[in-house]
Amino acid sequence: MNFDDIKIGDAITEGKHPVGKYQPHYYAGASLDFNPIHIDPEFGKMVGLGGNILHGLCTLAFAAKTCVDYAGGDPASLKRLKARFSKPVKPLETVIVAGKIIAKEGDTATAEFGASTNKGENQVLTNGIAEFRKI
Amino acid sequence: MAVDKKFIGKQYAPFVYEVGREKIKEFAKAIGETNPLYLDEEAAKKGPHGDIVAPPTFASLYAGGPVGEMLYDKELALNLMMLVHGEQDFEFFEVARAGDTMTTNCVISDISEKSGKSFVTAETMTTNQNGRPVVKARWTFVIRG
Repeated sequence: MNFDDIKIGDAITEGKHPVGKYQPHYYAGASLDFNPIHIDPEFGKMVGLGGNILHGLCTLAFAAKTCVDYAGGDPASLKRLKARFSKPVKPLETVIVAGKIIAKEGDTATAEFGASTNKGENQVLTNGIAEFRKI
Repeated sequence: MAVDKKFIGKQYAPFVYEVGREKIKEFAKAIGETNPLYLDEEAAKKGPHGDIVAPPTFASLYAGGPVGEMLYDKELALNLMMLVHGEQDFEFFEVARAGDTMTTNCVISDISEKSGKSFVTAETMTTNQNGRPVVKARWTFVIRG
C-alpha cells in the first residue's frame, strides 16, 4: 500500500502468525530474554500462568510485521507502534493481527489494531496504535 | 510487595550496542520474517536503504539493554517470578542499519500501584553514531500480586 492510497476506514491486511511449540525458545535466543516464564512450562505453571508463555515483544514483532507489510514492506514507514499485552499468548496458538486506519493528517496515517488468538476470542494485544509516515 | 516510588527518576548507564548483520537476520528469522530488506543483502542493496536494516522491534535488543539492567537491579528488587510485560510504546525516527552503533539512555519514569499490582515504567531514548534519534520507547511492566 502506497501512503497516498491509504484512506481512513481502510482495514490493515490481517496478519496470521502461528506460534510453534518452540517459538518462545527461538525468540528467547534472538532477543536474549531467557526469563523462565517463556521457556520452562513447569515454571510457568508454578507461577500461575498455566505453562510457558510467548514474550509480549514477540507478539508485538508479529504486529510490526503485519503493519510494515501493509505499508509496502519498508520498516521506515512505521513511525510508532504501541500496544497493551492484555493476555498471554501460549505455544501452539495462532496470533491474528487486525486493524484499521482511523486518521490521516499530513504525512502521518494512524491505525488502531489488536491481536487475538483462538479465533478472535482471546484478545492478547489491545489498545494498539500504529502510525505510518510517508516515505 | 510494593515497589518503592523513590526509584522514580533513577537512571541507568548509557547502553552501547552495535547492530550486527547476522544478528538482524537471526532476529528476523526468529519472528517469522521473510522481508528481503532484513534478510537478503543483494535485494537490500537495491532497496531504499542500500543495505539490510533491522525489523522495527529489533529495538528490543539495543533499546531494551538498559531495561534488562533495570529488571535485574538488586536495589529495585523486582519480583521477576511475578513480572510480566504490560505495555510497550515505540516511536521510530530512523531505521537501524547493520553496523550502526546505538546508545540508549534509560530512566525509571513511573512506579504505581493498582488493584494489588505494581506497575513500573521505564523510558528509553536511543541515538545512533551520528547523534540522530532512532527510537524513543516506554516499557511498562506489571508485577502481579
